[in-house]
Amino acid sequence: MTVKPMNGRERVLAALRGEAVDRTPVCNPTSVATVELMDLVDAPFPDANRKPELMARLAATGYTELGFDTIMPVFSIIQESSALGCKMQWEQKDNWPTVRMREPIWVEPDDIKIPTDFLTHPDTKCVLDAIRILKKEYGNDVAIIGKTMGPWTLGYHCFGVEPFLLMSLDDPGKTKLCLDRMTKATVDFGVAQIEAGADALTLPDHATGDLVSGDYYKRFLRDLHIELVERLPVPLILHICGRTLDRMEYIAQTGMAAFHYDSKNEPAEAMDIVKERIALVGNINNPETLFAKGPEEVRQEVYRNLDAGVPLVGPECAIPLQTSIENLKEIPRAVKDWHRDHSTPN
Amino acid sequence: MALTQDIGRRVELVSMDSRFHDISIALYRQEQDDRPVFHIHSYSGLDGVSGRIDFVAHAMSVLGDVVREGLQFHFPCGARHELACRRLFLEACKVDPAAGVEPRPLSVSDRKSNADVTVVSLGEGVYRLTGDAGDDKSVERRLAIGAGLVKLGQMKWIEGDKERFAFPCGQSHDKLVGLLLLRALNVRGVEREEQMAAARGQLLAPSAQKQ
Repeated sequence: MTVKPMNGRERVLAALRGEAVDRTPVCNPTSVATVELMDLVDAPFPDANRKPELMARLAATGYTELGFDTIMPVFSIIQESSALGCKMQWEQKDNWPTVRMREPIWVEPDDIKIPTDFLTHPDTKCVLDAIRILKKEYGNDVAIIGKTMGPWTLGYHCFGVEPFLLMSLDDPGKTKLCLDRMTKATVDFGVAQIEAGADALTLPDHATGDLVSGDYYKRFLRDLHIELVERLPVPLILHICGRTLDRMEYIAQTGMAAFHYDSKNEPAEAMDIVKERIALVGNINNPETLFAKGPEEVRQEVYRNLDAGVPLVGPECAIPLQTSIENLKEIPRAVKDWHRDHSTPN
Repeated sequence: MALTQDIGRRVELVSMDSRFHDISIALYRQEQDDRPVFHIHSYSGLDGVSGRIDFVAHAMSVLGDVVREGLQFHFPCGARHELACRRLFLEACKVDPAAGVEPRPLSVSDRKSNADVTVVSLGEGVYRLTGDAGDDKSVERRLAIGAGLVKLGQMKWIEGDKERFAFPCGQSHDKLVGLLLLRALNVRGVEREEQMAAARGQLLAPSAQKQ
């Protein structure tokens, strides 16, 4: 079937709906910011995480410079945690802001309070304003992707990783109550981004392969993610780092539009599990390939995904800030070349 | 319209240049007529960036004896010497412009053996380490420093010889060896520095972060 030429926005949204596309979209559900791109548009970290004009300017380079089909302005994973009252370490231009999880702000479910100024706090408002700017400037051409953190990640940030995991072992009921209460922050921030113009939302929920089993995902998060799909009326892209093949079946049952998956998972194996219930995106390795190798190796990984039928291609997670621009540009180049080589003459 | 251009393969990056407004500055390599040529580039648009790049290129030519042709430079032998060139770039970025640039000597004081260590250039890219101490510990230490030089400069030991090593290009690079000598005293420190630089800027999942 021949598909008429599409722009980036049409291409991404069609792929997220499981529809035919003119070529595989290049999609970054997480950050593609680098220190060189920060210099190019004079929008360095940490300010680019806190000032909407800078956030929008830096995010736009993913489209204007790298040639991706998406713009994703929420570089970090800490915006809403800052608004919830977590203690922050904003770092410098060449490093990521982090939450000081050693100093948790909550211990018990009753401590969970979503502040009344949650959506007007400077660090959440910055995201909303940046999305508005990007929607106005690029919204017809390219998919604007927002990001709202899932309750499991918020649990790590607000309770601390170890206390939260111990709670899940000692008192699953209490943990579920906490997750339910924190979900309000996920939904409120997500809905606000949709209203600001986000076409889709990335939903990172770090039930990662290293610490949390597939069974855990099913017990604590699958139904909650089904609920999030119902409450956030745009395509959702679930992001979980690490080896996640053991939970992909459950993820595929959630109704999420896509799963942003890690290079620790074989593309063909992952596709076999999810079948056509959910799209896959990501898988291009960050630390070993995009950061440390060259365009030839990047191209091989892109081809591996395309050969497996992965419907959207992009880096596996937020790319290292020192990643070279030529490696990132190689992703859309490789996608276009692959399609040229695989096109059937009319 | 995109502002970035294809300027070759980036081989080294300083994310935050502490000598110039914390801009990023990088070393790129291109192949021209089958010969590797290097150039320095920054995407920063700040006033004075071209002057900063010019200074780093000047420092590289003084410290490493590379040949400058306009904005590009290469080694006189025409070889790549990429690892050494990356080190040369990093060291050039650290030079205080106010202090000026001087080639590094081929002799250093080694605190571990409490003795001076000297690299002697034997011509045709061959070098030997000598020292003013002859005890076993000092000899062993010189071997370790030689191994450090071989590693940092991608040099090779002369077969069957425990004292002499050489650049594969067959040409001498005395200034480059002088620059590398200081680092060869503590190669593990160099490796640690590289590992830390590589780890910085990687976003970790909350569960993988040091708490």
